[in-house]
Parts: sequence; structure tokens; C-alpha cells
Amino acid sequence: MTILYDEGQQAIATESRRVLEARSSIEALLPLLESVGEYHRPFWDTAKEQGWTALALPETHGGLGLGLVELGLIAHQAGRSVSGAPFLTSGFGAAKAIELYGTEAQKERWLPRLASGESIGVIAFAAGPDALPSRPDVTLTGDLLDGVARGVSGGLAADVAVVLANGPGMPVLTLVDLADVERTPVAGFDNSRCLADLGFSSTPAEPLAVGHAARDAALHILGLQAVVTAHEQTGGAEVLMEIARDYALTRRAFGQPIGAFQSVKHRIAELYGLVELARANCIHAAARESAADFIIAAAAARLSATEAYDTAARDCVQIHGGIGVTWEIGLHLHMRRARSLAIEQGSSLFWEDVLVDRLAGEAA
Amino acid sequence: MSDLEIYRSKAAAWLATMAPEFGRDARKGLTEADDLALGRRYQKAKFDAGYAGINWPTEYGGQGLTHLEKVTFDAEEMKYGFPNFYFGISLGMPVPVLMQFGSDREFVKERVLKALQGEEIWCQLFSEPSGGSDLAGLRTKAEPDGNGWKINGQKVWTSWAHYSDYGVIVVRTDPTVPKHKGLTYFWVDMKAPGVTVRPIRLAGGDSHVNEVFFDDVKISDDHRMSPVGGGFAVAITTLMIERYVATDSAGFGPHLDLFVDLAKDIALNGKLAIQDGRIRQQIARNYAMRSGLDSINVRARLMMQAGMVPGAEGSLNKLVAVRSRQKLSELAIDLQGTDGFAFDEHASQKEDWASSWINAPTGRIAGGSDETLLNTIAEKVLGLPQDHRPDKGIPFNQIPA
Repeated sequence: MTILYDEGQQAIATESRRVLEARSSIEALLPLLESVGEYHRPFWDTAKEQGWTALALPETHGGLGLGLVELGLIAHQAGRSVSGAPFLTSGFGAAKAIELYGTEAQKERWLPRLASGESIGVIAFAAGPDALPSRPDVTLTGDLLDGVARGVSGGLAADVAVVLANGPGMPVLTLVDLADVERTPVAGFDNSRCLADLGFSSTPAEPLAVGHAARDAALHILGLQAVVTAHEQTGGAEVLMEIARDYALTRRAFGQPIGAFQSVKHRIAELYGLVELARANCIHAAARESAADFIIAAAAARLSATEAYDTAARDCVQIHGGIGVTWEIGLHLHMRRARSLAIEQGSSLFWEDVLVDRLAGEAA
Repeated sequence: MSDLEIYRSKAAAWLATMAPEFGRDARKGLTEADDLALGRRYQKAKFDAGYAGINWPTEYGGQGLTHLEKVTFDAEEMKYGFPNFYFGISLGMPVPVLMQFGSDREFVKERVLKALQGEEIWCQLFSEPSGGSDLAGLRTKAEPDGNGWKINGQKVWTSWAHYSDYGVIVVRTDPTVPKHKGLTYFWVDMKAPGVTVRPIRLAGGDSHVNEVFFDDVKISDDHRMSPVGGGFAVAITTLMIERYVATDSAGFGPHLDLFVDLAKDIALNGKLAIQDGRIRQQIARNYAMRSGLDSINVRARLMMQAGMVPGAEGSLNKLVAVRSRQKLSELAIDLQGTDGFAFDEHASQKEDWASSWINAPTGRIAGGSDETLLNTIAEKVLGLPQDHRPDKGIPFNQIPA
């Protein structure tokens, strides 16, 4: 159920915001867009140093034993500063996959390293338009993987991947050490996502789940990541609403601040509505992490957060007029991030189907 | 179980016993007069069982509990379709304001007790043909008349005035000062000579609202509930109370489950509508919106329980929910094709798509239009500038028409 943040959680939000505001800047982020395969290393260093990588992992394996609520709070702040490296989300997802479906040996090998941030984890479920394909492009034969996982966010820097593969007639969720995997950088509109195609060629893989269980497991992991991402999106939408508000207060036209024009002020007030609905759904979904209806709550959070961030990016630029589309002002960082986050973890089209299947009692 | 949960389960149990006599099914086919009579009996039953005036002081017949018990009871009560809406405004705003500002305390006590027991109904005479969203632009005037006042003018959109015994009213007592400063707040006897109530038939076919004409209506000065010229502040108090009515993420229209059921029943171009991407998208978007509002509302309750003041996001409820109810109702009628023409003007807005659709515009206007709510969010929450107001600071009688 929906919760109120307690004092400890509020402290996490305040402290992570303080740290991120002090350490990230548009100037540091813009150059990332002009190179392929880079990510925001200072953010990742900060994440490790602050213990954010360990936050939501079990204490028995080097984690801090907190959960989705706390990680979501940090993701929200990262979203505000457009500074998140993909690994805060996908590293968490990969670690949760190992924690929930892995063997003791796999946990001992990977979890402490993922918790400390020494190793980087990613997930690779999608095949192009299909976020959770029933017949993935990557094939598992015996314990060897072949094929290409396309556009894996964080893929260029990762050490370990959780890959959804096509086994003998059924999907298999596998764990893959990426040490010897061929990676091709993908030039994208948001190069800070460190995108890569992962090319598997008789790559050893260890199964985590098989058949229906593999799909269920993948959906659960995707749901966990979707909730973290939804927080990040909500943070981005929130800061864009504030940027638009501040600009509407200072920029004058026809003898008054443009924020006095209803066409402008109502647009910003509508953003407030989108941000608050997304925030409410995020708080609810994070608190439902272990509940039977988690995937419904995750879908609602994801849908409202994607709508909020995309709309805020669109409208904030519009309210700025010409200056809004310049390279320097950096609103395009949010435009890019809003779209890349909208694709990662399954698009709105995917989550709409997941949600309606369940509401109509037709869960796959 | 928390105290509040115990309260909820007791209230739910009591409400269930009331359902056969007063619930949805018992009301089917009743004339409005009979339904009102049933409503009065239900209100009396609530009073006798200790569920009327839940958060009102005990000395006025209330239960002395908190807003939390009140919204808890309301949420349970909403499930049964009881005939309680005749009293919603009366007990929601005018009577609490009378309780707070009425000068003759014995008279006040008598009125409050009768209203709580469903014997008397109060209405709220605010809106005027020229002053709706601009409340302070009203023109109905009260002039000194001997020891009292004489009211002339017209109000409009007055809910339940045709059944009301009394009303609270804001009028202009001084047109020579800026518009907010020349208003005074009174109560009036709706049966007094010179008061004429004329029902307005709304698009949906029903007539819950009225025009009310005041023609040399004489009232004594003890009807006054604000300082002379201090009526706007009391009116705002009334509107603030209004914001605390029970919330409903369905926008007071049908539950989303009903739409899902419809989409599972109807075939569209050879396949079930529930398999159509456009329909699925609307279901998903609606669910996300409603679950967000529900979460906001739950959070507000938790905050109140913890002694905190809920955030401004509570103001989104009506704005977001009613708009989406309107569109979803249109889609539900689309889905039914020519079967969607059927219309029963007495059908419930919460269960019937056509009724929900045709009455939805009221929800986007009454109690603050979408535009007014957006202005409030923009100005009060986000700190954006007010609109350009050419009437600001100018005496009312010098404002260009």
C-alpha cells in the first residue's frame, strides 16, 4: 500500500539530492553526447562511494538490506540531474535476478561485487520492439549462447549480464560473464546510456530459470527496474516543471511575465498534475515490491512516469521558445533522456498490454 | 486492528443493515418527492445511530470525532447508493458555516439539529449570472432598511433551493469600494416573502439546480454572519470546507471495471474490443490515472492520521478524474455503436455510460471550473503570477462592464 516516507527515507532523499546537485552539471553531461560508449563516470563513482549500489541488496551479500523505496528515492534525485548512469537500474535488476533465482555460488560470486560497484551488471531481455520476446534472438544450446542482444543499455561497460535466451523450444533466463563477449558500441540520441550490441559466440551461460518460470522471472525483474526508472523519470519531469516555472516567472513578453498568460500557466499546472500522479504511483509501486499485485502497480507507475517525463520535456522546451532548442541550455539532455528511459524497461505499449491483461483477467 | 479500522468495520456493518430499506434497489422507480422522503428517513436513521455530524461538536448534535472518521464513513457509505445527496450541500457547507458564524446561538442550535436529522435543508446562494468563477463580481445587493436589510437581485445554480428551508447568501452591501470589500454574508429564510425559486433543467434532464430571485426580501440584522463588508472571507471559509468532500478517482462516474467488462462483451471489427489496441490504451491510461489519485488520497489520509497537513496534490482529484471520466464515457458509447443511443435520464451516473457522459460537463464546471482549478494550482502551488485583472483595486461601481 501507499506509504509515507519515514525520517530515514527522507534523509536519503535530501542527502542524495545535495550530493548530486553539488557534483553534476550540464557542462559535464553535454560532452557525453558527442562520444559513443561513454557514461557519466563521476555519477557512478558517487553511487559507489555513497553506497547506493549496495542499498537494495541483501546484507548477507554485502548489501544494506533496504529496498525499492530507498533506491527509488535516489533514482528520483538522479533523474532531476539527468545524471544517472544506467547501472543504478540495470545493476540492481541483474543483482536481484541473481539473488532471487541464482545458486548460492552465483550469489557469492557476484552479489558482493555488484553491491560494491566493483562489477557492473546489466539485463538483456528485449529483441528490438519486443521487450519480453517469447522467442528471443539469442539462442542457448547446451550451456552456450549465440546471437546478438541489441541496444543493451550499459552494455559497453558491464561485467555480467542477465540474458533472456531462446532455449530448446522455450525461453531461458541466463547469467553470462561478459569478459570475453564482443561488444559493438551503438551511436544513439542519448549516448550517455552507454549502449552496445552484445555479440555472443559460444559464450558460456548459466541458467537461472527455464520456460514459463523464465518469462515470469524476467517480467518481475523488468518490473523492479521499471519502478526504479519510473522514479528517475518522475524526478526528470519534476525538475523540468520547476525549470519551466522559473523561466515563466522571469521571461517577459507583452509587458508581463509569460507565466501570467493562461496558455503558459495552465501548461505548467498540467505538468504539476502529471508529476504528482506519477509520484503517487511510484510511491505505491515501490511499497508493493513483494505483493501479489506488484506488476500492476509497476505498470501504472511506469505508464504515468513515461507520460510525465515526455510531456514535461516537450512542454518545457515549448515554453522556453527558441532558447529551449539550443545546445547550451541543455533541455535536450532531458528530451533525450526522457525518450531513452521510455524505451528501456519496455515501452508504454508493452506496459499497457501487461496492465490490461491483468485487469481483464487474461494474464499470460 | 487500528481504531480507525474498527470504526470502519462497525460503520460498514451498520450501513449493510441499512441497504435493503434505503439502498440503490429500494430507490428504483421512486419519484423525486418519494426519494427525498426516503432520504429524510435515512438521514434520521444516521443521526440516531451516531453517524450524522461525525466530526461536528457534540453540543450541536455531532459526534465530536475527527475528519478521518468522517471520510472513512463516507467512503463506506458511497458503496450503497443511499438517497443522501439532498443533504450533501446543506450539511457540507451552509450549516457548518452557520454553526461557526451565526449570532443567535439558541437559534443556531435548533437549526443544526433539524438539519442533521434531515428535517430542514439549507442551500448556498453564491453564484450569479455575472459572478460564477469570479465570485466577487456578484451584483445581488442588500441595502439598509430600518433596523435590517432589503435584498434585491438574482442567484443561479443554487442546488436544492427548491427543497430548502434556509440558505446562506453573499450580497453586495457597498458598490463604492473594490469588489472584494463590499460583500456581506447573511442567512435567509427561503420561505420569506419576495423569494422566488425557479428550477433549471440541465442537459441531462434533471433539475437539481435553480435560479433564485430576491425581490425586496426583508431580513433583520441578526441574519448577518460577517462584518458588513467582510463577507468574502466567510465565503472563502465555505469554499475551503467544500474542498474536504469525499474524493472519488472515478470522477463520480462509473468504475473502470465496468468499462473492462463492456470491452470484454463487445466485438469490434470481428474481434473483442478488449483485444483492440486503442481500447487497451485507454483502459491502461485510465487505470494509471486513477491509481495515482487513489494513492494521493491514501497518502493524504495517512498524513492526517499522523497529524500532518496533506499536500496540495489533493486539489488534482476533480480536475483530472472528471475530464478522464468524460472521455472514457464517450468511448464507452462509441463502443456500443447504435446500441449506445439508449438513454434513461434517471439512470445512475456511476453505473450508466450515457448518463455519466451527459452529466460530466457539470463536474468540470461546478465547484471550480477546470480553468479556475488550473489557475489555483499555477498561482497558489507553483507561485506563477495572477492573470491581468483590469478590475483590481477599482470601486465596484466603476468597473467597466
